[in-house]
Amino acid sequence: MRLPARQQFLAAEQNPRAGIPKKHLLLFVLTAACIAGLFFCENVSAQPYPLTKPQKVTPQAEKVIAQLGLGSWIWTTNFEDKQTCRFWKTFSIPENDHVRQALLRITADNSYHLYLDGREIGEGSNWKSLTEYDLTFLLTPGNHVMAIEAFNDGREAGVLMGMKVTFASGDQTEVLSDDSWRIVPNNSHRWLHQTRPDPNWPAATIVGVVGQSPWWLTPVNIMTPPTLQPSLMHFWQTTWFLSSVLTVCVVALGLSLWLAAKLALRTRAQQLLDLERARIARDIHDDLGAALTQLVLQSEVAQTEYPESSPIRAQFGQFCGSARAVSHALDEVVWAVNSKRDTLRDFSSYLCKYAQTFLSNTTIRCRLDIQPDMPASVFDLSVRRGLLLAVKEALNNAAKHSEANEILLRINKEGNHVIVVVEDQGKGFDPELLTGERNGLQNMMQRLQDLGGTCQIASAAGAGCRVEFRMPLAHPAARAGFSWRRIFGAQNGETPAEEWQNLKGS
Amino acid sequence: MTSLRTETKPPTFSAASPLKIALVEDKRDVRESWAKLINSFSDFTCMCKCASAEDALRMIPPLQPDVILMDIFLPRMSGIECTARLKNEMPRTPIVMLTASDDDELVFVALQAGADGYLLKRTKPADLRSALLDVLTGGAPMSSEIARRVVESFRQKPRERDDSISLTAREEETLLLLSKGYSNKEIADRLGLSIETVRSHLKHIYEKMHVRSRAGAVARYISGKPIENG
Repeated sequence: MRLPARQQFLAAEQNPRAGIPKKHLLLFVLTAACIAGLFFCENVSAQPYPLTKPQKVTPQAEKVIAQLGLGSWIWTTNFEDKQTCRFWKTFSIPENDHVRQALLRITADNSYHLYLDGREIGEGSNWKSLTEYDLTFLLTPGNHVMAIEAFNDGREAGVLMGMKVTFASGDQTEVLSDDSWRIVPNNSHRWLHQTRPDPNWPAATIVGVVGQSPWWLTPVNIMTPPTLQPSLMHFWQTTWFLSSVLTVCVVALGLSLWLAAKLALRTRAQQLLDLERARIARDIHDDLGAALTQLVLQSEVAQTEYPESSPIRAQFGQFCGSARAVSHALDEVVWAVNSKRDTLRDFSSYLCKYAQTFLSNTTIRCRLDIQPDMPASVFDLSVRRGLLLAVKEALNNAAKHSEANEILLRINKEGNHVIVVVEDQGKGFDPELLTGERNGLQNMMQRLQDLGGTCQIASAAGAGCRVEFRMPLAHPAARAGFSWRRIFGAQNGETPAEEWQNLKGS
Repeated sequence: MTSLRTETKPPTFSAASPLKIALVEDKRDVRESWAKLINSFSDFTCMCKCASAEDALRMIPPLQPDVILMDIFLPRMSGIECTARLKNEMPRTPIVMLTASDDDELVFVALQAGADGYLLKRTKPADLRSALLDVLTGGAPMSSEIARRVVESFRQKPRERDDSISLTAREEETLLLLSKGYSNKEIADRLGLSIETVRSHLKHIYEKMHVRSRAGAVARYISGKPIENG
């Protein structure tokens, strides 16, 4: 019969014998037994064990015990199950003597941790055997603190130890477990490092003599761990050093994560900008440029349909000229916007073409001296645009004022700089007397300096003029977005947004 | 480009036997305008108007025009690939590229593919006329930038089998002067040559450049990636 849970429950109420399974009943009985047991235990453990009274020791045992060099079993005033008891003692090694041997034997019921000057020496949990520690190398002259943290699992408890120190001079001294030890309260935190006892630390209680029940008459065996060596604390092992290294690591990790994230964003932004610029350039070229070309062609065709003498033909001629000029200007915009033109090679090619076209309208010959195999190094928009404007100004000045019949344009790459020279053999001028007419060049100099470049003008009356522009090329890594300036806040013309501002401002 | 143009004796074409021009241009309006402009010269005639490279390859070879005007940007097959293919079939017929913007990179590739010169689409009709005549009588004018690239390309180690093709000293001298901004006339004066000789040097340079790159070039342009605009 299968009933829903609720109905099953009701059925159990009505018929308890059928409803409560045997398993539940058993569980209930066990739980009750446990609770009762715990309660009983609690009552028992709250009662201190009565201290065993000292008994007479046989002479044979006394002999053995004397050879062991141990003190008495010590504990605090009461025994409790699951009890921790801490012992503390200082002793001193004389300055003028040398420790030849120091052996410490110890055991505890039920277990112990042994400390010397705050350093853990060893531990043990078998009260039937003794452990012998060799502390010869640890006992330097001066005061020492010995501490024992013992644990009682149940019933009687005690710690038994004895240390024999032999000096080079033959003197001997002993540290034994006796009532000179102090009991340290369990709430004390720095007790291992404390060099003086607190006044409220009580003395240890002797709870038994060696060879007397409930403990052994003679130890089952004596274990000897290897000789202990002084532990040299190197500076890199110290807590402050490790924690500062850790802090530095965490800070460095955080910083690099932050930089990586920022870099990724920058690089992405730069890529998007480059793509967008290329797209805009393509759109302008394809749509506007093609339409303008078409306009020029159609007006040329229209022009041919009128006789030579017709005034309409002349008007169409003017119209064609204007449309060509617009088309030319548009090419310049496309060149500036197009991210594919952000290279030194393109810049140099463009500058040559500009100079030749510009000077073809004058009587001045244009001579070029371009470094062969101009590398396609990255040449960022803001810089190339600034340099182009400056060179235009220089060419314009030379064409207007120099009265030369030849202008030389030289483009070179020197290390991480591009050097553009505009030179003429014309009448020259005194650079000190730069007048308003040449002020444009001064503005350009300022502009180049803002972009990290320099401009030098060398001229003298009658000795021509030489203008040298020197601009830094972007570091190749900057292209990939890696530039500290780009990361830690950019300067003018460095961020994509500002590049746009510059572009829009033109 | 126009600044480098030199005045030459126009070859004799007349209304009775005009210069036959084939035109490849995908935009209808532009194509019609060009045809009208060409036809407005009495000694020129536009004998064939193609709207695509595929049309051009089918229609032009049987007609044997004197000059082919080719737009660089054509849908599907580019003007450069079309040039390479046409040059294979009719190596003697000069091909002049039409470009909307002055892009040396593209022009240089086109010249390697076999083009004999290039014109900006906004060129004045008079300049168009003289440029076409230039192409027929000798080498088309070469800009300083292109001259520089040609010198560089000849100095590079050839990858293809035509490694015997190299420039003569005079040709290289001509190119170097061109790259320094000298005009054909100035070069002729400086080297003590006639302007016709300078232009024949240029013609040979164009041919050598074409021959030099032909082995691998045609395959490259035909199978190659689409040409990007801008």
